[in-house]
Amino acid sequence: MSKTNMIALGFLVIMGVFPFFADSAWLAVGTTFLVFSVVAFSQDIILGRAGAFHMGHAAFFGIGAYTTAILNTHFGWPILATWAPAVILPMTVALITISPIIHLRGDYLLVATIGINIIFIQVLENDLFGLTGGPNGIFGIDVVRVFGFEFFEQTHMYYMAFILLGITLFIMKSLDGSKFGRAMFYINKDDVAAQSMGINIRYYKMYAFAIGAGIAGAAGSMFSVQYSAVSPEAFNVLQSIMFFTIVLVGGSASLPGVLIGTFVMFVLPEIFREFETARYLVFGLAMILTMILRPRGIWPVKFGNIPAFLKKDVK
Amino acid sequence: MSQYLLEIKNVSKFFSGLTAIDALNLKVKKGQIYGIIGPNGAGKTTLFNCITGIYTPEEGEILWNGKEIKGTAPDKIAALGILRTFQTIRLFAEMSVAENIMSGRHIKSNQKWYNGIIPTPAYYKDEKYNWEKVGEYMELFGLSEYATTPAGDLSYGVQRKIEMARALAAEPELLILDEPAAGLNENETKELAEIIRKIQDMGVTIMMIEHDMDMVMSLCEYMTVINFGAWICDGIPEHVQDNPAVIEAYIGVEDEDEDE
Ligand SMILES: Nc1ncnc2c1ncn2[C@@H]1O[C@H](COP(=O)(O)OP(=O)(O)OP(=O)(O)O)[C@@H](O)[C@H]1O
Ligand SMILES: [Mg+2]
Repeated sequence: MSKTNMIALGFLVIMGVFPFFADSAWLAVGTTFLVFSVVAFSQDIILGRAGAFHMGHAAFFGIGAYTTAILNTHFGWPILATWAPAVILPMTVALITISPIIHLRGDYLLVATIGINIIFIQVLENDLFGLTGGPNGIFGIDVVRVFGFEFFEQTHMYYMAFILLGITLFIMKSLDGSKFGRAMFYINKDDVAAQSMGINIRYYKMYAFAIGAGIAGAAGSMFSVQYSAVSPEAFNVLQSIMFFTIVLVGGSASLPGVLIGTFVMFVLPEIFREFETARYLVFGLAMILTMILRPRGIWPVKFGNIPAFLKKDVK
Repeated sequence: MSQYLLEIKNVSKFFSGLTAIDALNLKVKKGQIYGIIGPNGAGKTTLFNCITGIYTPEEGEILWNGKEIKGTAPDKIAALGILRTFQTIRLFAEMSVAENIMSGRHIKSNQKWYNGIIPTPAYYKDEKYNWEKVGEYMELFGLSEYATTPAGDLSYGVQRKIEMARALAAEPELLILDEPAAGLNENETKELAEIIRKIQDMGVTIMMIEHDMDMVMSLCEYMTVINFGAWICDGIPEHVQDNPAVIEAYIGVEDEDEDE
């Protein structure tokens, strides 16, 4: 077994048995870690792989969360039935809103995507069509019910998030091993060369956004069920900045890197909770130091994942 | 069907007042090695950028198999079978040599949109086939030992080979080389000339810009000389070599060529 697979297996085993050792407070932290990892991976598809400076990802995460919340509380849909719309809606919104700005580069795209996030928050706070609940958000979201079973315990939430992360990792693996994931890297590394090799830049960047938004939406749906409530501040630009930072601090396009990034940016602050606001000072400094000392992230991506038969002549 | 694979008809390209290409005409036959020569700043690279869709010329026509392709996007040009290398090497530097060459297989791969999310039996077959192709091209260019090495870590000469292998992996009909021998030593240049001949034998038409006159004269079957974007002369190497206008165009700029 390769080193990467061993690390992946180790991680999955540890996360799989974690609920047996954690109290309910830590279980909640663990669940949120899993959900945020999923969002961070989806951000990584767009930022780390396709190289698009997207600073509005919390909006897609939020659209997923609000889709489930609204369909469940206003229209009485069972949670299970809201899953598909919670993926498809953010995907559709991404395709519509990103399409006119996809050609923008770097800083320009960054500002435009912040704009999308701000508009989204405005929509939520102004209680659009009386559906979003304004600044307070929506409460009383149901739990998942299948054939009379109710998945209401914290452990249930945890394992649902765990499965979601598993699905996400499966998608990341598929992406990495396909012409779609590679095309994103080529565009990221040199768009002129990529284009000259026949790669349609627009198509593959939109592809990254669509998949990224869909996965973020699924995570949002999970998030709303976990807390049985949603409110605007969970999806504001600050959250987008966090997802963006997780990817860069952990390591763009690196699976372990993104997990480490999520751990560092989200779980560590929880561990140091007692230090109150001082911990954020430490984090600010940690972010600055990472960028200076490890500009490609704590665990940078390693290329060269090619079939074994091509390595036979490698010395 | 046109007798020519590629025809440049009265093409002009301007950059805010500067005429980079000036009503240029040329015709490339299938199977030829066609040379474009001229002093620095003559507009050679700009011509290649017009053919490959990076620039759209303001005037004239570019015909591919008799069909107008002017203004077509670079990725569509590649899909038509026109692939190129760059004067200043443009590799995916952090990625391995094999992954670089795999980018050439992009347009040949027929994976479906959902294969980025979920693999299918057809996907596995396609993926395996294309990696095998990458293996073949690495062997052809003697790159197999560097399969996992990041392209940016290798020497200039090897990088030039990777760029050619990458373009060739797309199975082009026309391969466009912008100064392939630039920065290579004598041995590497000789090896390169052999490779170019081999590519021609594979049935690929080649257009090349090159300042190394020995190489151009020995390889090219036909060539066009340009200066200040305009046609100076064209013909077979022997004919071009003795042309007074060509000699004049190069006088005084001979030294600059060495800088390239
Ligand atoms: N994007 C651009 N914008 C403005 N001017 C340009 C641009 N690209 C090229 N030029 C100008 O067009 C002219 C032709 O440049 P080009 O690069 O085609 O020359 P070249 O024949 O390839 O020269 P060399 O042998 O040095 O590579 C030059 O004067 C150059 O400065
Ligand atoms: Mg040039």
